[in-house]
Amino acid sequence: MTATVSPWLKAIVGVILLIVVAPLVVPLLMSISDTAYIVFPPRGFTLKWYGEVLANPEARGSFLFSLELAAIVTAISLALGIPCAAGLTRYRLPGQDAILGLILSPLIVPLIVTGVALLQLFSLLGSRATFAQLIIGHTVICLPYVIRSVSASFVLVDRNLEDAAAIMGAPPHVVATRVIWPQVRPGILAGAIFSFIVSFDDYPISMWLADGDHFPVPLYLYTVIERSFDPSIAAISSLMILFALLLVLVIEKVFGISLARLAS
Amino acid sequence: MPGLEAVNPALTAAPDDTGMARLWAAITGGRLTGYLLVAPTVLFLAVWFLWPVLSMVTLSLTSRSVDGVMVEGFTLENYVRLFSTDLYFRILIRTIRIAVLTSLIGALFAYPLAIAIARGGPTMARVVTITIIAPLLVNVVVRSYGWQTILNKTGALAYLLKSVGVASPPVLLYTEWAVLIACVHVYLPFMVMPLASAIGRIDGSVEEAARVAGASRLSCFLRIVLPLSLPGLAVGVSLVFSLSAAAYVTPQILGGNFSPLLGTLIEQQILTLNDWPFGAAISTLLIAMVLITNLVFLKIVNRRFARWAGGAR
Repeated sequence: MTATVSPWLKAIVGVILLIVVAPLVVPLLMSISDTAYIVFPPRGFTLKWYGEVLANPEARGSFLFSLELAAIVTAISLALGIPCAAGLTRYRLPGQDAILGLILSPLIVPLIVTGVALLQLFSLLGSRATFAQLIIGHTVICLPYVIRSVSASFVLVDRNLEDAAAIMGAPPHVVATRVIWPQVRPGILAGAIFSFIVSFDDYPISMWLADGDHFPVPLYLYTVIERSFDPSIAAISSLMILFALLLVLVIEKVFGISLARLAS
Repeated sequence: MPGLEAVNPALTAAPDDTGMARLWAAITGGRLTGYLLVAPTVLFLAVWFLWPVLSMVTLSLTSRSVDGVMVEGFTLENYVRLFSTDLYFRILIRTIRIAVLTSLIGALFAYPLAIAIARGGPTMARVVTITIIAPLLVNVVVRSYGWQTILNKTGALAYLLKSVGVASPPVLLYTEWAVLIACVHVYLPFMVMPLASAIGRIDGSVEEAARVAGASRLSCFLRIVLPLSLPGLAVGVSLVFSLSAAAYVTPQILGGNFSPLLGTLIEQQILTLNDWPFGAAISTLLIAMVLITNLVFLKIVNRRFARWAGGAR
């Protein structure tokens, strides 16, 4: 395969990539502006907006709450999703297509509808447990990602290795931990990362279920954008962008999972 | 219990543990374990996804009298209202327009990127992939806000246009254009990735043969890459259409109150006006739109494509 790419295409791709990063770079520039309002190009240089944001208890509270929520949701999604993926891939179950359809349908039904439907159900049940509601809502939308990525790695498990280990006298729990686990580990890790990000970034589920005491970051960001006009919003946005970059680095370097693999 | 041995001879078989287990496995085909593994997830989604969504659909067929009491029986009243009220119908049309245009413009931008990923060599593929995927990790509120800083009156675009001599640059913020631009940006990755994998599956030697035989790059694209990448395009379009039709945050931040989409309408009807049946009807309509798009693009287009590709071979 020697198919080459024409220089024209390269130029077009370059321009499109510039447009793609522009909305992530411009807030960075504006966040250092020493003016009381948002202006481009930024005037002067200051880091006071960052100081303001970092000192803001509301921002910190939301951030920590979202981390906690995403961690719990990911743990539950894995606890439900790993056995489910194993069951789906290692057994031929009648009705498997229907089961798979149910599992993947939260990816098809618009999130905003899933959210409002849950709100309706919770109010029908008379539930006031906001935290539990958020956990349930986020788990519904994170589960499909976990099951998809864990299933993909279970499918690739080499059954011959298991048989070999069993013949050599390895009891089932040893086969599970020493033979199967190392093979499915990357898929589980990818699923966990996916779940964490989906929960951490979710807006359309949280907007129905959250309340003042349980206020995830995306909702907080939105209220800040709505009510204030100084560069502190740009500073928060920049922090979120830097946080995402950090996440990219951690995923690629620490976990050794390429971002492309995560997306496909 | 009499008769049990008839149903399951394993229960009355010799008390040999492994023999019993084997027999039991032979009878159930080892399925019981499989079902037990799957059951918690299925139960969870049945209770917390299927039930609420179905009850939302049911709710859309009910109505309330003026004093808020539920009226007995089913009615299509909410749907009639949705299609016959000018304001709501305009929002529906705008939503479809934005979703269609986002998919089309998205595809236009996605093709060069997908070709670069599939054909541009490892370095280029990596740079493009990371630049396209990384924004997905940035919260959608932040990405939309980024466009606000570009498109507003004192924003980057106005500055850029002024510096090249445009006296009064258009202010795009809080127009449908702003919503469209940001939607294309936010959902672009969902178009690029399936396209790139479809193009990557095309045998490079086909293009090479066409080029050697004298086809221009353009006709090579139009007659080989484009038709053979249609399955990827179908996946991309149905994803982007579904996501942008149901978008809430992006239209809210960039369109303000001037160009609401169906998502905003649901939120208003339910949280502000407390009209649950009508909100449920809009929700059901959104589900229907998304399902139909998925069916049309994924099933029909793919089937036709399979036949077409089979005939070509």
